[in-house]
Order: sequence, then structure tokens, then C-alpha cells
Amino acid sequence: MKRVQFGHSPVPYLFVAPQILIILIFFLWPAGQAVYQSFLLEDAFGLSSQFVWFRNFEDVLSSDSWAKSAVFTIVFSFIVAFLSIAISLFLAVRADEIIRGAKSYKTLLMWGYAIAPPVAGLLGSMLFNPLMGDLYILLNSMGFEFNHIQNGNDAAFVVILIAVWKQISVNFIFFLSGLQGIPKSVTEAATLDCKSAERRFWTITFPLLAPTTFFLMVINLTYAFFETFGIIDVSTKGSPGGTTATLVYKVYVDGFLGADMGSSAAQSVILMFMVSILTIFQFRFIERKVHY
Amino acid sequence: MATLSLRQTEKTYENGFKALHGINLEIADGELAVLVGPSGCGKSTLLRMIAGLETITGGEIMIGDTVVNKIAPADRDIAMVFQNYALYPHMTNYANMAYGLKNRGYSKAEIDARVREAAAILQLNDHLDRKPRQLSGGQRQRVAMGRAIVREPKVFLFDEPLSNLDAKLRVDMRLEIKNLQQRLGTTSVYVTHDQVEAMTLADRLIVMNGGVAEQVGSPIEIYEKPATLFVAGFIGSPSMNFLPGRVADDRSHAMFSDGTCLALDHDVEAGRDVIVGIRPEHFTLQQDGNGPLKAKVRMVESLGAETLVYLDFGIIGENVTLRLQGTHQFARDQELTLSTIANQLHLFDRETGKRI
Repeated sequence: MKRVQFGHSPVPYLFVAPQILIILIFFLWPAGQAVYQSFLLEDAFGLSSQFVWFRNFEDVLSSDSWAKSAVFTIVFSFIVAFLSIAISLFLAVRADEIIRGAKSYKTLLMWGYAIAPPVAGLLGSMLFNPLMGDLYILLNSMGFEFNHIQNGNDAAFVVILIAVWKQISVNFIFFLSGLQGIPKSVTEAATLDCKSAERRFWTITFPLLAPTTFFLMVINLTYAFFETFGIIDVSTKGSPGGTTATLVYKVYVDGFLGADMGSSAAQSVILMFMVSILTIFQFRFIERKVHY
Repeated sequence: MATLSLRQTEKTYENGFKALHGINLEIADGELAVLVGPSGCGKSTLLRMIAGLETITGGEIMIGDTVVNKIAPADRDIAMVFQNYALYPHMTNYANMAYGLKNRGYSKAEIDARVREAAAILQLNDHLDRKPRQLSGGQRQRVAMGRAIVREPKVFLFDEPLSNLDAKLRVDMRLEIKNLQQRLGTTSVYVTHDQVEAMTLADRLIVMNGGVAEQVGSPIEIYEKPATLFVAGFIGSPSMNFLPGRVADDRSHAMFSDGTCLALDHDVEAGRDVIVGIRPEHFTLQQDGNGPLKAKVRMVESLGAETLVYLDFGIIGENVTLRLQGTHQFARDQELTLSTIANQLHLFDRETGKRI
């Protein structure tokens, strides 16, 4: 006879308890708070609040500054993801071909991985400092009237440059291991079948790297969406006039600097929603076209 | 259709290791040449040099009348079948076969005709729309061969194409490759470490060892007259037995350290130190106990059609193999008496290992 067991040992629950606690305290509780706060209108000192249903959402979605930030975030994310994937793929392919001194090339290209986003931001803001920044001086001496303090496009260029540079090393590592995962005999068979190295790359290597590329696209879009906060905060702080503020940065600016908690919470709820949609879209539609 | 010539072909790696020491070889039009040897003998390197996947560091390789040393692999007009198939996993089997033709600018109709013809020969018609991973090992190898056939190249190169298949399939595919090669009449070079495969497939066999072609000849020539100890031991299964001895003063006998004498039929000077090679199938069992060789049975393997007996010859040789037709019963440590036929013995110089 099989005995139905009710009295399970509590030990397994103890083992997972710390992780569950962390998720509850640091993820679910704040998320719940954000949803709750998004329905409240609070005074600047947080002394009184009023339940206003969806008014915060209406305000956010109808505001120009939010729409501007949303457009910037989308354009910024795709440019950053595309550039950092393209450049790192190019570097990985070239590094993979090298036979002599390959190790030192690879190590050097991976170094950037160890740099934290705020540090990257700081490096960038120093390079573009109008008084002593080397890149700022170089660009202006080359005849570009470069001024990221006043020109929104120039400021966006600075943020994109830093964000891409920071992400290349991560992508490089993944692409390099992806390239090394392609059986040597397959590339050799391709050399017998196709003379043009470029054509070989697009017809054999690139399709075989598709799983890696897809994975990196997800990672890089998420990175550009969320993790560039540190870079923006240290380099441009969203200036000039909020042109380089991503949605995440705007949440911070409106909530913590502008003290408009209700609007800030509503924005972060919208952001959560957008990210879920993005993730579902990526896994549903794009993954299908990837050959494994 | 073309001949393949290798003239003093050498390969030295960047670290100074010399993998091939000047290989000379003429492979006639339509011939199937098999490179056989133990791993590390340079046979795969040589094949890859013909394909253009390895650089040639000395001598030259000619396909037809063209020296191909400096010609890109894709322009050499060769097609290669790899050990692990090397199919493009993201393409259908049809696309796999069509890829090489597409890159060479053939018309869609021409490609389609060639692929369908090859598929018919290889019985792949029902699998053309599938991806390689949906096929069994044998079918994948067929696709890989199809990819080679559609190109109608001057030379086929096979790099141990059967070693990833199971034993039964390997025998079937071996016959299929032989058939196909004869039917197409394309000059082919086939690399293997399996001497049975080598013997059955080859029009011409090249036995390689340590970067040198030890012997080139037809399989039967090599079986009957191995040029060196290495070739003698490598070709034939089970391997030839080697017994160290000395040529007796009458020059018509080989003498062993325990006083045993075997009749010889060789032109050789008296007193020379030799190694006598006897194939396991060339012993005759003397039921009446009347023969020069006495041995003890150590172990018996009954294979049905034949019986392998492992014998102890005492101080002459402790591990000698005897192959008998049919089934036989022997007890462990049973004494057997054997004889040999003079012209079936192989004599090798003990110092150089060369055939006498």
C-alpha cells in the first residue's frame, strides 16, 4: 500500500526561504507599492494622498515629455542594441580568425566587461568635458560644431557611444564562444563550396550564430532600456531638456527629483507592461525564425 | 576526370614538426586510391593538402595538368566528404547539396536537375525537404556524398567517411561507395585507418607511417609482398606473426633460438639476422604430430566460419596467432604441431625492417 504523504519535511522550504524572501521584499512588494501608488495623488511632502483611479496614467500618456522620452528610449535602445551587436560580431569574427597572439587580443577585448556602468559614464563625461575632454576637443577641431550641453542629438550621440562601448565586450564574449561552437568541418566544407569569404559568412556563419544573436538582442534591448541608467545619470543627466532621458531615467527624475510619486509610479507600471509585451513578442515571433 | 599527382609533397608545421616527408604519388584517372595508416601517420594531412585546407610547404600537387598549390580550395574542382558529415545544419538537405552549385553560378534548372539525379542515386528523394538533423547517420552521410556528387568534380576526397557509422551500416556504405565510384568513374582519394575498408575499396593502396608512404600497390600486392615490417604488421587481420631468427648455413632454412628450423625459398646469405613473418592463415595444422613447430594453446576464439587460436611458441614467440577454417575444439595448454610452406614465409632484415 502506498501511503499518501502529508507530513513533508520542512527542510526544503527552509532552503528556498531566503530566495523567496528576497523576491518578496525586493521585487514583489515594491512592484505592488508602485501599482498602489500609481492610483494615488500625493502632495510634495507625502503628508496627504488621495485615490484618483487612472488620472496619473491619463496625465502621463497625454504628456509631451513622456511621449518624447518614449520615442527616445525606443530609438536609443534599438541603436544601442544594433550597434553593439554589429560591432562585437565584427570584432569576434576577426579575433576568431587570428592565430598568433589570439589570447591577448581576446583578453583585451573582454576587459570592458569589468567596468561598471556609472564608471563608463564617468569616463565618457570626462572624454566629452567641454574644458578638457579629448574627444570634445578632437571633434570640434575636426570642424564638427559639437556641443552636447545644448544640442540634443549631440548629447544622444555621447550616451549611445558610451552605452555601446560598455556593451561590446559582453557581446564579444558570447559571439566568440558562438563562433567556436561552429564545427570546424562545417566551415571547411563551406570553403570548398564557396569561394567568397563574405558570402560564406552570410550564408553559413551568420545563420549558425542566430541563436546567439537572438539571445544577445534580448539582453541588449533590456540593457539599453534599464541598465543605461547609470551611464545617463553620470554623463548627461537627461539634459539638454530631457532629450536624453530614457523612460527609466524619467521615472527617477519625476519621482525622486520632482517628488511626483503618483506620476512616477504610473510611469513605472507602464514600463513594466511594455517590458512584458516586448518579452512575449521576442520569444513568440522572433525565436521561431531562429535555426538551432 | 583527371589524374592526381603528388611530387615530393611535404608538410612542415610552424612549430617545426614535419608531418609529411616528401610524398610521391601518381593516381590515374578514375582510380580509387586509399591512404591507410595508424593515427598520426599524416594521411589526413595529405588529404587536406589536396583539398587546400592545409598549406603545402614543399613540393607540388597537380590535378590534371594544373599545379594547385596556390589555388583556392573552391577553385580546385574537388569535393570532399568529411568524417562527421559537415552538413550545414540550418539548411535543408536539398539546399545542402545545391549550395556549392549555387555559389558557382549554375542556373536553377541545372541545379535542380543535378540534385534530383544525385538524390535518386542515393535514395534520398523523400528526404530533400528535411534538415540534416532529422536523418539517421547513414542518411546524413548520403547527403554529404550527394553534395560531392552534384558538383561533378575532378577528384573526390573521402576523409574517413564511415567511421561514425555502426558496423553493419559501415559494410553497406562501403559497398555503396565502391559502386558509386566505379559508376561515376571519378578519381578518388579515400583516407581510412581501417585496413579492411582499405583492402576492399582500393584500386591502389598507399600504406603510410610516420609521414612516409611505406608502400604503394594493389591491395593483393601489398598483402602478398609487404615491403616493410610495418606494412606486413598493419595489413592483414589478424596481423602477421613475427619470429626473430637467423638464416642457417645451408641458406635454405631459418633457424630459431630453440633450434627449430623452417624451410625457406628465398635468395639470402647465410648467417643473416632476419625476422620471419608468417600470416595466421599460412600455418598448417599437422594432426599426426609430424611438423617443425610445436606450440601450446593459450586461448581460442571461435568465429563460426573460422577459428582463431592464440599460441605460445615458447622462447621463439609467446603470442602467435593461428587462423583455421571452420570450427575446432582445443583444450587450454594442448600441444599442437604446425608446419609452414616455404614460399608463404616473409623474410625481413632485422635491422632495417625491409623485405628480403
